[in-house]
Amino acid sequence: MSVQNLEIARSSASLIGGLSGIRSLPTVSKLIDTSTCIGCKACEVACQEWNDLKSVATVNDGDYQTLKQLDAQFWNLIRFDEREVDGGLKWLMRKDQCMHCAEPGCLEACPAPGAIVQYANGIVDVNPEQCIGCGYCETGCPFDVPKFHASTGKMAKCTLCVDRVSVGLEPACIKACPTGCLHFGTKEDMISLGNGRVEQLKQNGFPTAALYDPKGVGGTGVLTVLAFGDHPEWYAALPRDPHVPLGVRFWKNILRPIGLIAIAGAVVGAFGHYFNFGKKEVKGAADAETNLPQG
Amino acid sequence: MSATTPLRDRAMDAAVVMGRDRENVAVGNEIVRHRLASRLIHWSVAVTFFASLFSGLPIWTPIFGWMATLFGGLSVCRWLHAWAGLAFTVASLVMFFHWVGEMVMTADEKSWIGPKLFEYLRYQGDESQVGKYNGGQKIFFYTAGLGALGLLVSGVVLWFPLRFPQIVRELAILLHDVTFILFVVSIVFHIYLATAAEPGTFGAMTRGTVTRAWAKLHHARWYRDVTGEK
Repeated sequence: MSVQNLEIARSSASLIGGLSGIRSLPTVSKLIDTSTCIGCKACEVACQEWNDLKSVATVNDGDYQTLKQLDAQFWNLIRFDEREVDGGLKWLMRKDQCMHCAEPGCLEACPAPGAIVQYANGIVDVNPEQCIGCGYCETGCPFDVPKFHASTGKMAKCTLCVDRVSVGLEPACIKACPTGCLHFGTKEDMISLGNGRVEQLKQNGFPTAALYDPKGVGGTGVLTVLAFGDHPEWYAALPRDPHVPLGVRFWKNILRPIGLIAIAGAVVGAFGHYFNFGKKEVKGAADAETNLPQG
Repeated sequence: MSATTPLRDRAMDAAVVMGRDRENVAVGNEIVRHRLASRLIHWSVAVTFFASLFSGLPIWTPIFGWMATLFGGLSVCRWLHAWAGLAFTVASLVMFFHWVGEMVMTADEKSWIGPKLFEYLRYQGDESQVGKYNGGQKIFFYTAGLGALGLLVSGVVLWFPLRFPQIVRELAILLHDVTFILFVVSIVFHIYLATAAEPGTFGAMTRGTVTRAWAKLHHARWYRDVTGEK
């Protein structure tokens, strides 16, 4: 990868923004091939180390998963699931992390200007300086990724190692993966690599293998090869058709403009009423003056 | 009484003294409409409402982002809005029980929901039978009470969003939005009618009194009840 610049393509709660249009930068992507993941969690450790995240206390409840869900201090979680397929047990894993959606629900829901940004290269990032900790991003996210950090009052999630990517390095998890199931490059390259792997799986007994790049959120910056592509929900409830929640879209795109018009209309209506009908006061007497008590 | 009257003499102002704890009584040319307690309750609702409004608007849309500066930034608004909203709910609750006894609606007043409201706004309605509060005021009273309840219920969810399931959070955002929009539209007309449209009204909430002429014009039956005139 060449050095990425960090021009901001989109910014939360901002009326202005967008790219200068001078440079043409490729969208970067991560490819996760779940069929070659062995659940070693090297990516979890690499993520914690590179991002300098403090360890979260774990509970041994009899499974392999480090935590039940992502945490403000734990951005990369291998989720384990078990399915019976054709009489045999399948031990399925997926890498739960921010999917870096092309149309991010978190960014759409966020009310704080610049608290969530999407860089020109497609990476979606939280800017803690601007974050007000309202939690709307969690409501907007179809993957339940952003997490609230109670002691700082800020939201946190995977940055796709934007600090590494911007200086031409691959994300820490990619660097750590021992089986080569993680890849990083332009989205175009990752799609072609992922599709190649899907073909390979199809010829080797997984006829429904597919590349997970859900269109409901405009595609994701994290692509996932699923051996059972017709059942994404088998992979620890990976959503089949994720989209920005209807409530959030209705609120921002329909209710808010209607509300602005209604409030402005009320003010204009009050003025209009005054010009049309005037005041309603006591006829023939300026009552406010003459009827006040004397002395 | 002129504005330059010394304070000790103003304290002797009979209508103001009467208005400290009594209302619906005539004093000279004036009638006490709202005693001190009623006015304090009204203004505590108003102050907490505007604190909530100005700290909430910048969260609602960046168009009003500049309002956050009044409070020291959007992060301050995030907690101030919640506390101001809670104070507004408490004040509204006090106001509701303070006035609900006087807000029982007659069949005639219920008919204000509809064409009668527009007759009133065109200054064409027959108001000879209007008591202390007209149908529109009573409707506004219940609307405000219902609105405060809607804002509280949805506001609690938005205050602690991560304690509620996804669908509840989405519905809370929509309910908070719809309620607040209707509330603001109502308040715009409330303020307009109480100031520019109907001179003499605002004093009922500051000094506590209205003139006899005002009462005869706007609330004829109340005027007759208070003064005993026909």
